Amino acid sequence: MLFHLEGVTKTYGAITALDNLSVTVPAGAVGLLGPNGSGKTTLIRTLLGLIPVDNGTGAVLEMDFHTRQLDIRRMVGFAPEDECLFPGVAGVEFAAYAGELVGMRTKDAMQRAHEVLDYVGLGEARYRRVETYSTGMKQRLKLASAVVHDPKLLILDEPTNGMDPAGREEVLELARDLAHNKGMSLIFSSHLLPDVEAVCDHVVVLGAGRLLAEGRIKDLKQFHPGCFEVRLKAGPAAFARRLNNLGCTTESREDDLLLVRVPDGHSQQTIWQAAADAREQIRFLRPQRSTLEEIFLKAVERP
Amino acid sequence: MEFHEVSKWYGNVIGINKLSIKIPAGVTGLLGPNGAGKSTLLQLATGQLYPSQGRVRVLGQEVWNSPGLNRFIGLCPEQDAFYEWMTGWDFVYTCARLGGLNRPAARAAAARTLDAVGMMPNKDRAVRGYSKGMRQRTKLAQALVHDPDVLFLDEPFTGTDPVARRELMDIIRRLGAERKSVLVSSHVLHEVHTLTPNIILLNRGRLVAEGHVRQIRDLIDKHPHHIVLSCDDYRKLAGHLLTWDDVEGVRVQAREKAIVVETHAPDAFYSRLPELAARGGFDIKEVYSDDDNLEAVFKYLVSK
Amino acid sequence: MPIFDQGYQHWSGELTDHGWRWLTITRHGVRIGMKNRLLRIALLIAWLPAAVLAFFLCVWGLLEQKSDLVQPLVPFLAAMIGPEIVNDPKAYRVEVWTLAYDYFLLTELRFSMLVILMVGPGLISRDLRFNALPLYLSRPLRRIDYFVGKLGVVVVFLGLVLVVPSLIAYVLGLLFSLDLTIVRDTFTLLLACIGYGAVVSVSAGLLILALSSLSRNSRYVGLFWLAVWFVSSMVGTVLAAVNEEHRMHHQYKRAVEAEQAAQAARPSQVAHPVQPEKTPAGSKQRAGPPQVDHQRIWADIQREQREAAKTDWRPLFSYTTNVSRVGRHWLGADRSWEKLAETVPAEERDRYLLENMGAQYPWYWSAIVLAVLVGLSVCVLNFRVKSLDRLR
Repeated sequence: MLFHLEGVTKTYGAITALDNLSVTVPAGAVGLLGPNGSGKTTLIRTLLGLIPVDNGTGAVLEMDFHTRQLDIRRMVGFAPEDECLFPGVAGVEFAAYAGELVGMRTKDAMQRAHEVLDYVGLGEARYRRVETYSTGMKQRLKLASAVVHDPKLLILDEPTNGMDPAGREEVLELARDLAHNKGMSLIFSSHLLPDVEAVCDHVVVLGAGRLLAEGRIKDLKQFHPGCFEVRLKAGPAAFARRLNNLGCTTESREDDLLLVRVPDGHSQQTIWQAAADAREQIRFLRPQRSTLEEIFLKAVERP
Repeated sequence: MEFHEVSKWYGNVIGINKLSIKIPAGVTGLLGPNGAGKSTLLQLATGQLYPSQGRVRVLGQEVWNSPGLNRFIGLCPEQDAFYEWMTGWDFVYTCARLGGLNRPAARAAAARTLDAVGMMPNKDRAVRGYSKGMRQRTKLAQALVHDPDVLFLDEPFTGTDPVARRELMDIIRRLGAERKSVLVSSHVLHEVHTLTPNIILLNRGRLVAEGHVRQIRDLIDKHPHHIVLSCDDYRKLAGHLLTWDDVEGVRVQAREKAIVVETHAPDAFYSRLPELAARGGFDIKEVYSDDDNLEAVFKYLVSK
Repeated sequence: MPIFDQGYQHWSGELTDHGWRWLTITRHGVRIGMKNRLLRIALLIAWLPAAVLAFFLCVWGLLEQKSDLVQPLVPFLAAMIGPEIVNDPKAYRVEVWTLAYDYFLLTELRFSMLVILMVGPGLISRDLRFNALPLYLSRPLRRIDYFVGKLGVVVVFLGLVLVVPSLIAYVLGLLFSLDLTIVRDTFTLLLACIGYGAVVSVSAGLLILALSSLSRNSRYVGLFWLAVWFVSSMVGTVLAAVNEEHRMHHQYKRAVEAEQAAQAARPSQVAHPVQPEKTPAGSKQRAGPPQVDHQRIWADIQREQREAAKTDWRPLFSYTTNVSRVGRHWLGADRSWEKLAETVPAEERDRYLLENMGAQYPWYWSAIVLAVLVGLSVCVLNFRVKSLDRLR
């Protein structure tokens, strides 16, 4: 079990950041979603034991976060959202320092820093000063500093912020590899839902300090039986009319997408048949599944 | 907007290299890796920089040194630089007044725009206390307040949560539908993907591709199309497809019970497919192309 | 397995207890500080007074041995210090060593303030500016480890400037006098030096840490520190000087008037040569011009000044004066001056002491001021570097 909270409340004056939050999350890659101001940052700080909570109990990696904060932080790596690299040191020195701050011996820290920098792909650049790095390299160095002490849980706060598509791919690849192949649990907090979907299996949605939704992504993405998404080479209007005549209901979506619901007892064969008859090219045909974005918006809109 | 053989360099460093492009009405996405010249292009288009070579025209006029043109141009920059002590309302109202509206018109415009971006409940708080998403929305409001015909948006969605992003995207799509020109520069490909299929792709200061995403994909012939077909009888389907002339390769995905077909002639392939599915005896459950999208186009055109 | 996994490897080593974390922070801070070339040069220059001190102690040691090497220097020394002392070096050994160390530490105090100016401002303000605090606080160390680590950087550098040179000079002086009884006599000096170093490090260190946590821009912090050093010093000196002048003027006036009144009341005329009056108030025309004994008046004034200095609180405004007052008390400099003053003719004694002894108020006043500053610094640090318990 990764972490669980029971009735945790945290207020800052008049503002309630966490409101009687109770959630249990299994080990693995977990996405943390929520609108701005929903308490994601407060939750992360609570898990790290950085802030006292008004009431409630909880445990991270089977360790109570009220009493065993230092032990928790030994097992957890945190890559914060903002810039956190101070200038004047070389990349490998920074990573080694990050390791020493956890308690590694100097030699262990240096050896491990090099190993981890190999993994994230910072080659010769590690000997250059940190202020000469590009955004992508800085994010990778942050990630390396977070895993230098081999934590069991890695918390990433908006890791792909401001990165170009190539850099984003790389960071997501690293996160996926660590979470799925190397047995590290991951908490991935982000606003970019496709990123979360690409990396995580489990998702927790917060809103106004409360738990709105929680579960495996595969389970949350329900199938809509008999509903299909269709895109043709040509415009959808004529084909939609033909399908309507056959008894299907159609709905137009953006990007020339057509949502088709076939009558009971039929399958996508009906659609293929209609396309063959009309000599239309079907370029896209998939059963409809809710996207993570739809799940999120539905969860947030609930009162 | 029209760029005619525009180049811009800073000392020795090239920003834009002989760029010629006409940007039509509607929403267009501006893409490119870091250092591709996107910010330079936006600065040239809004008249903040003078081109080293060539001419930049917006709405038919040269944009350098014509402040009157700013009445019709709206810019939502990437940088986060507000007067922190102003309230949201003050800020947007002042921008409206600076845009040339008189007092009652400016008040009405500020109210309308702030309502559209969803900032009305917070309009009387100082910007200092805003979260990142709220700042982005205020920035968008000031770009829209004087009802411009041409809009430039530089990374408009950073820091916004999915709810706010949905609302802002709706606003932008509506503007595109009203036949205004909107140029959106972003790193987040799937956001541009949901906004518009028309893109401009830059790399190293040069124009790599422009137009509709799928048309561009059709033109990339170095990389064959990968079309995924899902069927219970996938191996038999694979065997049958290999007899077709335009199929160059088939890869099996046993776990998903699917096959990935490679072809350089997608048109021919797709036109034969419905016949096969309806009457050929194969129950094809899904068909889609996993590289017919923006990410794939970007990767193929830009990767080193 | 012939092919080895190049990907991520797990690591299972030992982690040290968090009580040692401050050492890492101190080491890192010292390494970054040493990269500054100006600082390295300043450290070198700060060792010059140490060389001078060592030289002086060696000379004194040789003097005690009545060595021939120093004979040419004897006239100079006699002119500077007084022939009585130079003729009997052993008797005045403790006093001379004490005062030599006193001057040395006063000089090095100035250098310490300079070193702190170069090293101190960035300590916390840089972490605030580059947002590195989450990096520290998300690791298994407490806030106090962080503060102690940063304080350690200041302690190391001040130790290099204050304590290490004193020790080396002591050893050199010992070697050159070849007399182990010196250790017995002056051992307390050594302890006082180390104590002084500790007081300066802790008080100045906490003060610069508190100032550093107030701003993200280390230049402003540097300016604050300069203000603490110079402005407080100026304020203290100016206040004390103005007060002293005022007092002296007052006393002189009063003394002259009293003298004139006393002389006027006396019937007999004492045969004094006519002297021009110096007082503006002396326009009383009695029987003959009243005679004023200026010598005595001045001597009285000096004595009164000495008395008044014992309760003069004005120098408390100056930070450096506070620190050096505590240090001087521990060294026992006041007693040494008093003993040396016995070699000076009686009339001059008060003036001699006034000139050389500096601030005279009780040392525990300074100790209280320093303690209050330490308390304030701790409060400011606690407030500014909260463990991220705020909304944004």
